[in-house]
Amino acid sequence: MKLTQMFKSTALAGSLGAAALMSAVAPAAQAAQEYLLTVTRPGHLQVIDMATNKVERTCDVPGNFGSGSIALAPNGKTAYVLSNGMEDVYGFDIRSCDITFHAAQSTPTLKVKSFQSVAVSPDGTELYTIQNPFGLKRDRFTVEQPRLAVFNVADGVGAKPVRTFPVDRRITKIATTAQGEVILGGADVKAINPDTGEVRMVTPLQNWEKGPLWLPPDAFAMHNQGEQSNEYIMPYVTAKFDSEEWNFETAEWWWGMSRVDLETGEAERMEIVPFQFIVFNFISDPRDPNILYGAFNTLSKHDISKQETIAVKEMPHTYYDLNISADGKTIYVGGTSSDISVHDSETLEKIGSIQLSGDMSTSDLRVATIRD
Amino acid sequence: MALNNNRTKGALLGASILALAGLGSLPALAADAQEIIRDRCLACHTESGDADNPSFSRISDLRKTPEGWQMTLNRMQHLRDLEISTEEKRTVIKYLSDHQGLAPEESAPFRYLLEQDTNRVEVGIDENVMQMCARCHSAARIGLQRRTEDEWQTLVDFHMAQFPGIELHAGSRDRPWYHLAHDETAVKLAEMYPLVTPEWNDWKKADKASLMGRWRVLGYIPAKGEFSAWMTAAKTGEDRYSLELEGNYADGAVIEGKGNATVFTGYEWRGTITIDSVKMRQVMAADKNGQMMDGRMFLAAEDEIGGELRAVKDTGDAQVVAVMPTYLKAGESAELVIVGQNLDGDIDLGDGVSVDKIIARSKDRIVVAATAAGDTGVNTVKVGSADSDVALNVYEQVARVDVTPVNAISRIGGNGGEMEKIRATYRAIGYSAGADGEPGTEDDVRLGYMPASWSIEPADEIAEHDKDHLYAGEITPAGMFIPGDAGPNPERKMSANNVGRLNVVATVDDGGNAVEGRGSMLVSVPDFVERVLD
Repeated sequence: MKLTQMFKSTALAGSLGAAALMSAVAPAAQAAQEYLLTVTRPGHLQVIDMATNKVERTCDVPGNFGSGSIALAPNGKTAYVLSNGMEDVYGFDIRSCDITFHAAQSTPTLKVKSFQSVAVSPDGTELYTIQNPFGLKRDRFTVEQPRLAVFNVADGVGAKPVRTFPVDRRITKIATTAQGEVILGGADVKAINPDTGEVRMVTPLQNWEKGPLWLPPDAFAMHNQGEQSNEYIMPYVTAKFDSEEWNFETAEWWWGMSRVDLETGEAERMEIVPFQFIVFNFISDPRDPNILYGAFNTLSKHDISKQETIAVKEMPHTYYDLNISADGKTIYVGGTSSDISVHDSETLEKIGSIQLSGDMSTSDLRVATIRD
Repeated sequence: MALNNNRTKGALLGASILALAGLGSLPALAADAQEIIRDRCLACHTESGDADNPSFSRISDLRKTPEGWQMTLNRMQHLRDLEISTEEKRTVIKYLSDHQGLAPEESAPFRYLLEQDTNRVEVGIDENVMQMCARCHSAARIGLQRRTEDEWQTLVDFHMAQFPGIELHAGSRDRPWYHLAHDETAVKLAEMYPLVTPEWNDWKKADKASLMGRWRVLGYIPAKGEFSAWMTAAKTGEDRYSLELEGNYADGAVIEGKGNATVFTGYEWRGTITIDSVKMRQVMAADKNGQMMDGRMFLAAEDEIGGELRAVKDTGDAQVVAVMPTYLKAGESAELVIVGQNLDGDIDLGDGVSVDKIIARSKDRIVVAATAAGDTGVNTVKVGSADSDVALNVYEQVARVDVTPVNAISRIGGNGGEMEKIRATYRAIGYSAGADGEPGTEDDVRLGYMPASWSIEPADEIAEHDKDHLYAGEITPAGMFIPGDAGPNPERKMSANNVGRLNVVATVDDGGNAVEGRGSMLVSVPDFVERVLD
């Protein structure tokens, strides 16, 4: 197993010597080493050294490609990947590709899907997923109540939920706060206590009360990110109509977000910039929460204190997601295809590219920080 | 020798079962089909009721078209591990279509889907059904099913389990989609499309006309044109026919074909016929008396490419069935083809239209040279004492041209990719302005299909900026739109593929006056899901 992985990473790095050297030396040699993680088709967790922008390790992910959702252990050493058609979670030691955790959520009588929703408790001992179960009866399916499933990380391979609590339907991205709550992104942003199952409203979105001329927001988040600012962003699109004629042409269209501070569990909801083009994901600059970057067909930079778009860089193809270095200087734009585009956050100019062995498709682009 | 013996035995056995059927037992086919369902389906489905009138869980709670049942069986094979032979599958589809089909009135609003005539924007669809269901597939697919309320709700649950992301799509994540679908939409569908209806109860009891015999057939094959022919349907089994087709295109060229057909549900004609070495399919609905069939014929390999098909049964009576073309410009002469059966006697094309010469004449096809000297109007084409409601439109000016289809979609393909290009075929329809002299008003007179020259243009400024008209495809002189090659195109912005939004322009030359009509063409990406019904 290990041999195969090393062989693969070797092939990617292009030189046996270089790859072997990096594998042996890199993790232990540096303090606060940042690794960019993503999943590529047909099933590889790519571990990229952000100091060199080279693929350092490629771990085989068992099962059919899922959605490439990745959750990080707080110490940055373990990455949990949603695989096998969004049914199984595998935990990888990113320093070795060893599989340290596996939870198969489905059973012969229950098909269980998780839509991106994987997160780890702040102490790293528990893993959370949102399970959407479907009963497999002899001649029909049944639709069962979605639930938060709590796993003990220590249960390792073969882990089963130790607790479950009912939650709303349509939950995608989740995250944990320093208080130990799990943020649930669905029709509204809510938080659940994973010990008691108690749910509180964080930001009403579909149930907001913003006045009759505001279009209920279309809120959706497909990608886990925000670790560099310890935040959770649920972006949305809304419109303010000028009358009850509901003229879509004359309405003011806005990007907005609910941004949860994962240190405090408190959220702010606001319209951030006028809707001028599609942005699939926003991230904040770790140095300045008023500066946001967005990716899709463009890489864009926004000052939300002024509700302004500061800079727009046309991209050669669509990129679904993005992430940023801890110092805020370098932006990594990825997803969709097989290359990660590296940009200077000041100018948005392209300063590098990382070619991967397969398409990232809908996969997350996450930064694991190992502080030794 | 052994084969012959077996055949004889089979025939005798069949005859005895049929004889028994007359004594109150089940017809052979139904009994066979029920046995196949027992053998193949009861690993998952359960049987209840008595042996002669069984009920199979889920299966017995719905009604569908032949294509609907075919889709169900395809899904069972591909996703649920059903093992069934082709012959068994055919038997089951026939049985279920006959016993749990749709009445003619029930399928009537949605025949375009059965006819694979899908280059259209559906109209008159319930807004809720449109938002909840018809944003992914046609509304006709729903309208061609009948279910109990429980079955409509189980269908929602199937959608959830089979396509778990369904409640996260744009258009569903902004609402509690599952609860709305299960508790409201499914309940409403059970009211709109219930399992038990008076129409179906009546149709089940009605005598079904035999469709065996000789049919006067009119049709249109893209790039070849209109044709008239005789089609003979010879019975080869219960509701099964062998077909022979022979006739002429409008220009006199011979059209010939052979094939076979099955009739489902007493009126659903499904034929396969090979014409000029090309396999084509016929989908028609017979009227309740079995005297007339209407539908569409299209390439088996490319169901977008096809045209109208109409068949009128030869009853021995004299009848005018069509005139080609259906118009004549006032003050001009033209050659007209009158199509019918048992035609004898004088030809009368109405006031002011003279028959200058009979170029060819038989009992079913007359070619004349005619001149329209006088007034414009809608004349009835008469031959002797033959029945006729066939109109010849005498017009002064083509005031408007419509392109059909008005809205079409094609798909890039080829270029080494897995999917072939999906083309589209166009025709132009001419109108005169009618009494008010204003084209585009209700009283416009439809003159008929007209020859046109074809071109494309970008649909709007954005399409022009993206040069869609240079990349997305081209149209042939015969009105066949051929989309561009699949795959990224480095010449385009973001290496976009050759998708685009175009107008297809038909220009009809009306005595030196060019009249234009436009249709909208969306050149889209390949569709990797092959469906029996969209």
